[in-house]
Amino acid sequence: MPREIPLLADILADARVWKLKDASAAPARPVWSTGKSSLDARLPGGGWPTASLIEVLLDDTGLGEVQLFLPALVACQRAATRDSGDAPWLVWIAPPHEPYAPALAQQGIDLGRLLVVRPTTATEALWAAEQALSSGVCAAVLLWLKGTDDRWLRRLKLAAEAGGSLGVLFRPEKHRFESSPANLRIVMSHGSPCARVDLLKVQGGRPGPVDLGGP
Amino acid sequence: MKLRSAESRTADLFAATPARRPHVSSPVALAPQALAPPALNPQPKQLWYAAVFPAMAQLESFAAPLQKLCLHAHAFTSFVSIEPPNALLLEVKGSVKLFGSLQQLHMDIDACWRRLALPAHSAIAPSTLAALWLARAGAASQIEDSKLLRESLAKVPVACTAWDAERLQTLRAMGVTHLGELMRLPRAGLARRLSPALVLDLDIALARQPAPRRAFVRRERFRERCDFETEIEHVAYLEKALEPLIERCARFLRRRQAGIQALQLKLRHREGPATCVQLGLASITSERRRLSDVLCQKLARLDLRAPVRGMELISGSLRALSASSRDVFAGFTGAGSRDSAPQLVERLRARLGEGAVYGVCLIPEHRPEAAWKRVHELRLTAAARVDEESIDQKLPRPVWLLNEPLSLPKPEIIQGPERIESGWWDGKGVARDYYVARHADGVRLWVFQERQSKRWYVHGVFA
Repeated sequence: MPREIPLLADILADARVWKLKDASAAPARPVWSTGKSSLDARLPGGGWPTASLIEVLLDDTGLGEVQLFLPALVACQRAATRDSGDAPWLVWIAPPHEPYAPALAQQGIDLGRLLVVRPTTATEALWAAEQALSSGVCAAVLLWLKGTDDRWLRRLKLAAEAGGSLGVLFRPEKHRFESSPANLRIVMSHGSPCARVDLLKVQGGRPGPVDLGGP
Repeated sequence: MKLRSAESRTADLFAATPARRPHVSSPVALAPQALAPPALNPQPKQLWYAAVFPAMAQLESFAAPLQKLCLHAHAFTSFVSIEPPNALLLEVKGSVKLFGSLQQLHMDIDACWRRLALPAHSAIAPSTLAALWLARAGAASQIEDSKLLRESLAKVPVACTAWDAERLQTLRAMGVTHLGELMRLPRAGLARRLSPALVLDLDIALARQPAPRRAFVRRERFRERCDFETEIEHVAYLEKALEPLIERCARFLRRRQAGIQALQLKLRHREGPATCVQLGLASITSERRRLSDVLCQKLARLDLRAPVRGMELISGSLRALSASSRDVFAGFTGAGSRDSAPQLVERLRARLGEGAVYGVCLIPEHRPEAAWKRVHELRLTAAARVDEESIDQKLPRPVWLLNEPLSLPKPEIIQGPERIESGWWDGKGVARDYYVARHADGVRLWVFQERQSKRWYVHGVFA
């Protein structure tokens, strides 16, 4: 007597079965669009996840790496302003150059809520990032670093989850082979006509190169 | 109408209640009150007690002793005002009921000066200047009704008004020795010959003009010392010992509904000067948690050069707490919010230094390097969003701006030019054509060509 084969519908109806597609389509927290539809399509939920740590590995500035996050920064500032009437803060820690206020205002960022922090050492930068991420008053924390260890990254990730903010860490590309607890790891490199983006690690998604050529 | 106004100008205008006030503006170019005396307020809302201390006129600095006397005077009324160089004015209308009667109150205040062994002349009148002048005249008078003011002021010598010597000399030359004679003179003439300010003073003295005064406000600060039984060598123990002091400071502030923006901690050693820890707060606060948070951050960075025997916590001057303390509850997300923005900024500044944490703002300027600046005074409380509509959306602007433009060979142009020619007035004039360019390895740069030298520079990076 052949074993009874359960119907697919029955299996799916079982509460113990966890469906990956649903999980990635409706994440617990909101996501913010990257401004590039080709990249959005590859990220679970269709955008940068909030309350998480994102690691961007690149050797040189000028690849449009900040531009990938600006729409998200504007969107989360606006959303929180709409909800609570008070815009959340954006903290930029140790940026490689001076953030140019007119450019940011042009993109729609509320400059009154932007904080630039210039620590003298990497440890202080990490400490400041942890404080800002876990404070709960910051929508996003962008951090530029030369190098750091796994332990600090884990602390940053926990702080981001606790504070509900988006943490973005920019590091040189040589760290790509080190393990990292970040929810999302991206490598950016030179390319023509625009920079090449490689997803190294995507929680709930598929890694691989992304074509940024489209809108 | 014209006739009437001319008539009233020549008449004795200091009559207690002028029957007719001119309604037509006068042809004489004088302040209106110089011509028409304002109506008398029959029921004065204020009663002023003036105390003049003749012994104090010789003192070189009168501010400190008078301020001390103000503290004594606060026992009788909440409104005490200093009249330099040697007098105090107390508003006593509100205190009459509490002290039983005006006579009683007057005696009580006088007794206060006697207890201090300070000779004083005092008087009570419905207007500040009348009380002051009567007190200077030495007449211990007590006038409650404004109608009687004129009569009692008439006997006061002109010298008691403390007008400048030149004016008093003129009055003496005119044969005026008492205020009564002065008040009989026509207003317009007085104002023209002496000064309109003198007429105004007379009006104030007769309670026809209000004369607001500045109240003396006591300056307070929290200052408390704590000595240890044993010397403390570790910062961690110091933090523990500091807790009750901070708690008391917060309670002190809460009682006064005030906050502070600066705090000083002095750590005393067995020998050598005390270690001073200064800290500034990003906004006025009275919260215990914020104070201890910032102090502990500062302490953690401190290098103790000797064991600590005692410490002293001294607050900066007290400030009124603003109504925007709703900050405390205004977090970004409901669940994760534990801090407020000022707290975060303070903590970062306490460890990284004041200059290391700043904001940026726009300046309406065409020159790219002058179109922004750092701001260290952050708008930490909820503020209305400023609409940056003035920015032209079409012109490309890079995310990074280099501090100094760097020279480079002619790059590959993608977009441009945008001519910027400005700033000739302050010696830093620019005449440049800006382009978006692509560097050899794909980096997008914001470059410009100087129009005179034709040299190329990179000024920004599109990150």
